[in-house]
Amino acid sequence: MFGSLANYLSNVERCAEACSGQALSDFLSLRDVHVQNDKLHVAQPEKMVERYLDAPLDEVVGAHLKVIYYLAQNPTNYMEAYTQQAACCSAVVKLLQMMKDENWCLPVMYRVCLDLRYLAQACEKHGRSFTPGQILEKAADCMMACFRVCAADGRASEEETKRLGMMNLVNQLFKIYFRINKLHLCKPLIRAIDNCAFKDTFPLPEQITYKYFVGRRAMFDSNYRMAVEDLSYAFTHCPDRFGSNKRLILIYLVPVKMLLGYLPSKVLLQRHDLLLFHDLAQTLKAGNVNKFDEIVRENEKVLIRSGIYLLVEKLKFIVYRNLFKKVFAIRQTHQLDLGDFMTALQFVGVTDVSLDETHCIIANLIYEGKIKGYISYAHNKLVVSKQNPFPPLISV
Amino acid sequence: MAKIQGTCNEFCPNAEIKMRVRERMLHFFELKNGQKNVPGILVKEFTRSAADVKMPKGEDMRTMECLTRTVEYLLKEIVMDNRMPYRMAYDFIFDRLRAVRREIVIQMFDAQQTAKLLEPIVMFLAYSRYRLCDEPIELFDAKICDQHLQDCLTGVLRCYKTLDEDESKSRHTIRDIQRRCFIESVYQVFNLGCPESMERALTLPDHVRQDPTFKICFQMSLFYHQGNLYRVLMGLPKLPHILCALAATKLQTMRRRVLQMFTHAYNKQFDVPGSYLLRVMLIDSPTHLKQQCGHYGLEVSKDVPKAVRFNKSDFINSAETIKEQHEPFVDSKLKLVYLPEVLLLKKFV
Repeated sequence: MFGSLANYLSNVERCAEACSGQALSDFLSLRDVHVQNDKLHVAQPEKMVERYLDAPLDEVVGAHLKVIYYLAQNPTNYMEAYTQQAACCSAVVKLLQMMKDENWCLPVMYRVCLDLRYLAQACEKHGRSFTPGQILEKAADCMMACFRVCAADGRASEEETKRLGMMNLVNQLFKIYFRINKLHLCKPLIRAIDNCAFKDTFPLPEQITYKYFVGRRAMFDSNYRMAVEDLSYAFTHCPDRFGSNKRLILIYLVPVKMLLGYLPSKVLLQRHDLLLFHDLAQTLKAGNVNKFDEIVRENEKVLIRSGIYLLVEKLKFIVYRNLFKKVFAIRQTHQLDLGDFMTALQFVGVTDVSLDETHCIIANLIYEGKIKGYISYAHNKLVVSKQNPFPPLISV
Repeated sequence: MAKIQGTCNEFCPNAEIKMRVRERMLHFFELKNGQKNVPGILVKEFTRSAADVKMPKGEDMRTMECLTRTVEYLLKEIVMDNRMPYRMAYDFIFDRLRAVRREIVIQMFDAQQTAKLLEPIVMFLAYSRYRLCDEPIELFDAKICDQHLQDCLTGVLRCYKTLDEDESKSRHTIRDIQRRCFIESVYQVFNLGCPESMERALTLPDHVRQDPTFKICFQMSLFYHQGNLYRVLMGLPKLPHILCALAATKLQTMRRRVLQMFTHAYNKQFDVPGSYLLRVMLIDSPTHLKQQCGHYGLEVSKDVPKAVRFNKSDFINSAETIKEQHEPFVDSKLKLVYLPEVLLLKKFV
């Protein structure tokens, strides 16, 4: 691997001839050892590359060599490296287009797109002269070009179609769109995967990542049942040795499930270092509005960073419901005075609550089916159903 | 593409004045004392970029200073000109401000300049959205107004983000910060309960998040998101002028939701007193309450004080939400301000 440029190029040529996508992808990876070989750091490798390789592979490799050249500069020229990587990516598109009925070069595409994303991230971190997210968005455009070639490859047989590369790309694109907060761009990608006849045959790791992002998106759209379904899939299929990934999934799965009425077990949360949710669940169960607000306030930064702040705020009405259930348990009657509810709210720290608001909160809970019963304004009473006045949230 | 820099120091470039006077294409507000065909002060019209139009020249573009004056002229003189109904002034100003926006893009002004010019445009659109909300659609299209308001808002917000990133360039005066807080509040109120706007609010710099007006607006958005309409409605009258007006355009949807909720919650055998409904729905008079309830098929008792009997099956789900209308509590607020001062962001409360 530490040979001359000629040596490197003839190795690349051999891989291409043997149709070995995996080996070729290593030769184009920025994480591979060959990157450190300073004999490969050539500013203008075109002539040499053309001698060994045919078009459009020569373009791919030429651009790659330029990338490692710019990365080796002191100080590192991330911007130029990114530009060359983008050129490399466009050359890969040509390569894909040229290959009818074969898909061995998909690993190359994965690798080049992955490095493109890493470089774009590095540019965003080090550069200052552009609006945030701009480079990542451009990188996403390059990947979309790859995606289009893959998605359009409908004629080839199921083993040879480039459509097998779709999910890997979609996941890469998701990562960018979530980072730059452009979730609406995910929709066409999801539709493309959904319409794919063999969507269940993609490799499991890819499916897990896919479900994780689709679940998060559903959560953002307030489609909580879908979110639970997708995130649960991701969680149960993700192997235990990937602890940090499992934790990441739980950060979204737990609050969504809480919203639907499931409380997480302490053991599970402890194992994944997420006891914050245990505290939250406890206050939820107790209907302690004040404590709930306090926990949210204390962990505001963490919740915002993970993107679940708004979701957690939505649990507020469940806290109310549980508090009111306690009032019912104490009074042991089906005709409950609204004044009692107001006192309860005041007791748990909603000191500025009025009777009007108490009415409205209860009306809302009835409307959502979280309390079964009706209010009589004249008597200032909530009359709850004899059967199941507080139906389990799971059933609502 | 080379950057074009404007050199024109008049509201309207010479070439356009000549052409429009010759072709008698003058708007009412451009005539001298309203006399036919006697040109007064002309303001550059909005034109689309099209394939057969030559690239604009520097002398057809106004300088930053001139654009600022143009905006000030429109939002001071024309807004206060009441010879014609407001919608006429709106059409005129809307078009002329659109020309300003186009020049911002062509001349590629930096974030600070762009924000300065867009801020009053946002204010104007927000105000007009309320002022004209009860006009029939042929005379005022609320949807188009909404679209432009959202476009301008996202434009300004993008500028703020750029300025945040690049701290070296931004020299905030107290006034700049006040202006920003107000515009950020407009964005929150306009996008009440939207995840996108709330996500943004959560990541804003502290000096914005701690601003009292902004805090109320964000809280309202959060309450809306939680489904606590009571607190949203109660927060509304606390908002200053334009924010209050803009929020009032969302009132009909909220009233509808409250009524719908109540039909499920209150028993059909007992009346719910009108006074309570007036309070929680921010309605000013029993007649108005009757109109609201009647529209959705709910029964209002004849005796005074009025009361409503809620019945789930009475509620007409297919009924369209009542059109926005002027609210007395908003109008009384607007009466107290000198409009140009507010639109040009010289006064905030």
